[in-house]
Amino acid sequence: MSEADLILYIVVATALAFDFTNGFHDTANVVATSISTRAMSPRVAVTYAAILNFAGAFISLEVAATVADEVVAADVITPTIVFAGLIGAIAWNLATWYFGLPSSSSHALIGGVVGSAFAAVGSEAVLSDGVIGKVLVPALIAPLLAFIVGGLAIVVCYRIVGRQRPGPVTRGFKLGQVASGGLLAVAHGTNDAQKTMGVIALALIASGDLAEGADPPTWVIVSAATAIALGTYIGGWRIIKTMGTRIIKMDAAQGFSAQGAGSAVILASSHFGYPLSTTHVISGAVMGAGAGKRLSAVRWGVAGNIVGAWLLTFPAAAAIGALTYGVTRIFGDGAVGPIVIVIVSVALIAAAFARRIRQGTPVPAG
Amino acid sequence: MISVLLATIVDWEALLKAGIAALVAGVGVAFTYSLLIFGAARSLEASRDERSVEAAAFAVVAFVGFAATAAAIVAGIIVMTG
Repeated sequence: MSEADLILYIVVATALAFDFTNGFHDTANVVATSISTRAMSPRVAVTYAAILNFAGAFISLEVAATVADEVVAADVITPTIVFAGLIGAIAWNLATWYFGLPSSSSHALIGGVVGSAFAAVGSEAVLSDGVIGKVLVPALIAPLLAFIVGGLAIVVCYRIVGRQRPGPVTRGFKLGQVASGGLLAVAHGTNDAQKTMGVIALALIASGDLAEGADPPTWVIVSAATAIALGTYIGGWRIIKTMGTRIIKMDAAQGFSAQGAGSAVILASSHFGYPLSTTHVISGAVMGAGAGKRLSAVRWGVAGNIVGAWLLTFPAAAAIGALTYGVTRIFGDGAVGPIVIVIVSVALIAAAFARRIRQGTPVPAG
Repeated sequence: MISVLLATIVDWEALLKAGIAALVAGVGVAFTYSLLIFGAARSLEASRDERSVEAAAFAVVAFVGFAATAAAIVAGIIVMTG
């Protein structure tokens, strides 16, 4: 095995680890609404979400193409740059998880890759048109759109069924949540797994194993789908244990409207190749469904945190990605730098987990 | 200056299409599914009170809501995978 192959294997493993943490991190967003309205039992909801996350990853490749071709210039990128970007994203995700801050895995991933590419090659490596036009502006618009769609959807629901007896209506919307929750899991799988596919495709292009502009190979799609589904399933068991303390209470109609709005925004955006923060979109839809019933039901502090995280995540992950690239360069061009970074990262993650377990259950950053 | 820059960088047409698609799908499915629940609830109520004509009429409303919801979901999946 050549040193270049070893670096590529490390990058693929790191990308799949990121994908796993993405599923682990975002499970609550996908299943919380169905569980809180008792539309599904926690066990069923988590298993259902994991299966549909897997299926969703096969729906489209538009987002993967955006990440691989429109964020950084693939012809000047090396696997080590992609690796440093991934470490930037993972480090930021873990830091926000540790301190209980809301964060977006998607913005962290793209920020990390942009930061490491900038540090390695300079501004010509960053496709600013793609970053602004395909990532930053849609990232700002999507949660607002989800808020509006969620708000209008719940108003429509209440206008039509508001005067009916609550029993059949609640049962009907709980049944509807099986479909809307499923769609949300599919939407999450398609948008988020594709980001990892895009990053692996970028590394394969950089190593000369994939032509620029080509679709990711089947093994990339299957492995990314598997990693996010496993993360969702395992993350879900952790969520089940802490259910009932953090979930916002909502009625079944609100749950249906929020999930439907979130799915519609994510699926429509995925179709046009926009790599969104699914966390922010689902939060926007839930707040919209809350505001549609009563404006004071919205946790405006959470909305403020989302805006703050939106502003902070991209530059912070970019800075860590750039720093990581700088550290790998200390050890030269070979595989030693990435190996050292992986060992140090695993040690830091283990220490953070051990400290968190001693302190009590962490607040998820999503 | 910034607005000129954004106008050239951002594909507003594609963003608008995505926004309209999300709005129509999200609100549209809420409408059709609510229609299904409304029709089903009223139909059950009417049949319990032995008002069979009314029950049948509301059953038709429920069916239209169901068909429209199912069609919207299938159409969405076809567009996504196409």
